Amino acid sequence: MLGYFVRRGLLIIPTFIGITLLVFSITRVVPGGPIERMMTQAQLGGEAGSLHRSEGGGTLSDEQLEELKRYYGFDKPLLSSYAIWLKQVLRFDLGLSTRYQDPVWDIIKERFPVSVFYGVTTLVLTYLVCIPLGLLKGMFHGSRFDNLSSAVVFLGYALPSYVIGIALISVFAGYYDWFPLGGFVSDNFEELSPLAKAKDVFHHAALPLIAYLAGSFAVTTLMMKNALMDNLSADYMRTAAAKGLSLGKSVRRHALRNSLIPVATSFGNNISLLIGGSFLIETIFNIDGIGLLGYEAIIERDYPIVMGILVISSLLYLIGNILSDICVAIVDPRIRFGGGSR
Amino acid sequence: MNLLRNPVAQKRWQRFKQSRRGYISAWLLLVLTTLSFGAELLANHRPLLVSYQGELYFPTFGAQHSGKDFGLDIDYEPNYRELQAQFRDADEGNWVLMPPIPYGPLENDLIAGDFPPHAPSLTTRHYLGTDTSGRDVLARLIYGFRTAMLFSLVLLVFNYAIGVAIGCMMGYLGGAFDLFFQRIIEIWSNVPFLYVIMIVASIITPGFWTLLFIMAFFGWTAMTWYMRTATYKEASRDYVMAARALGASGSRIVFRHILPNSVSTLITFVPFSVASGITALTALDYLGFGLPAPTPSWGELLKQGTENMESLWLVGSVVVAMTLILMLVAYVGEAIRDAYDPRKFSFYE
Repeated sequence: MLGYFVRRGLLIIPTFIGITLLVFSITRVVPGGPIERMMTQAQLGGEAGSLHRSEGGGTLSDEQLEELKRYYGFDKPLLSSYAIWLKQVLRFDLGLSTRYQDPVWDIIKERFPVSVFYGVTTLVLTYLVCIPLGLLKGMFHGSRFDNLSSAVVFLGYALPSYVIGIALISVFAGYYDWFPLGGFVSDNFEELSPLAKAKDVFHHAALPLIAYLAGSFAVTTLMMKNALMDNLSADYMRTAAAKGLSLGKSVRRHALRNSLIPVATSFGNNISLLIGGSFLIETIFNIDGIGLLGYEAIIERDYPIVMGILVISSLLYLIGNILSDICVAIVDPRIRFGGGSR
Repeated sequence: MNLLRNPVAQKRWQRFKQSRRGYISAWLLLVLTTLSFGAELLANHRPLLVSYQGELYFPTFGAQHSGKDFGLDIDYEPNYRELQAQFRDADEGNWVLMPPIPYGPLENDLIAGDFPPHAPSLTTRHYLGTDTSGRDVLARLIYGFRTAMLFSLVLLVFNYAIGVAIGCMMGYLGGAFDLFFQRIIEIWSNVPFLYVIMIVASIITPGFWTLLFIMAFFGWTAMTWYMRTATYKEASRDYVMAARALGASGSRIVFRHILPNSVSTLITFVPFSVASGITALTALDYLGFGLPAPTPSWGELLKQGTENMESLWLVGSVVVAMTLILMLVAYVGEAIRDAYDPRKFSFYE
């Protein structure tokens, strides 16, 4: 068992290299990188400054171009510059942002608290709401409560969370003005009392949180319900009923733990959401988290940041997959990974 | 065809028909999609039919008519909505039959004395209003639906074709081929795919087919994985061994025995692939990495809507349209899944 997880852990390395190499070569091969961007900037600057007739035109000289290329590491072939980049990453150095000239790691670190706040709140709320709701829906399958809540669940299931986010922000923030139009806190946040601060954060967070929740809510609830229903018709539940346990008690004592297995499998995958956030929702609500940072970095061709976010999110995703398996092993002691047939 | 005539398939079809919600949704979806493929007859600035001095013209299809053909003193194409009003006023027996929505998806209709977006109104016949450059929202919704539907259907064909081919080979050949593609798929499915598409699309402005190829490039893995497992399962069954004992070749076993038995289950994934295709395209368009500018698309309308929140009809119409279509798709998906896997639950109390 331990051997299996060690092997899984080691398999992260080739997968990680594969992912980063793929994206690295995409940023390399396609035109329009940071150097081209700088050149156009220099040209524009040259035109603006042409009134002064100084510095002999706006285009960069070949020497300057070479220097720039060396600075960004564009002068070497693809694989060797990838090796250099990888070596830097191993020393926890993600390079400098081409846009801000700051270390990428610092920029990402600055955005962490925001994304973690949303991630953790969403995760806690999802499990807090979905597990009881799924249980109730399973226990009272076909009742009016089940049918009514199914309508809501189905809506969340069919609609992607960004559409729900857009609908929410345009109705409740744009039209009715009940909630702020986005951002994480108000401008005068520093002057507020602690209580008002908390209120301010949640006032801003209400709509994005609903949008985040809508994404995972339906899937988790349905998963919980279906798993419980499968277990309810199992033989051991018949035995429990035969010896006189009430439905509630037999669910609590017997079916609950078995039904949590599929929900536990999905837990690890939520880790990447925990920190990575969803760039769509962050863009819609203008939340200054990792997602929005990645989106802006792509638009600005700030490849060190793009690669830095990719490193963090893919590592989280890969670790999350293993965490899922560990969760399953904890919830279900029958499962033995790695031994014999799958 | 043999694939549809066997009793199992017929039983599934019966079960599908029995779930009324899914069956009706499937028909509605089919009708809406078919209608959208005739969008030129529903929303167009060219009329369906013009009757001028006893002769009939069909400006929607065929050659473009100049104003001279209809007794106007202009060389270019007349504004048929004005022509309709003129003919009506003159009352000489000439008439123009416009489509239900008399605006094209790319036509800017600027109303004097007012800045777009214009609110929905029956008098201007912009039933859902106009967008920020005066284009009819309803017309763009219809054409956008066609684009999105076409896109996700073609994407689906691509993904499934690649997935079935590679997955089947992985499952049947096994060995090094299987191992190699397993690693590839593991890498591929861990790449944050929307993120990479954004990187690529930010650099080259993709057209319909380019975007489709990029999406297919990252989207084929799920089906491949499924087909691999299904092929493995089928290949170890007795009938395959029997076929091999009779001397059937590898290709015969794959095409005559394994594929017909494993492919039919793929249909349970189709509605979800369609829905994810539509949502992914809309998300890309919303972020500005999708189809190039004048193409009517839902994502682009959503973007305009979030930038002009006081014009609630922009966001409203797209959200309602998306809810309708995606709910229909989800109902169909639910019904198909029930038809394939009828769950009978029992309770013990």
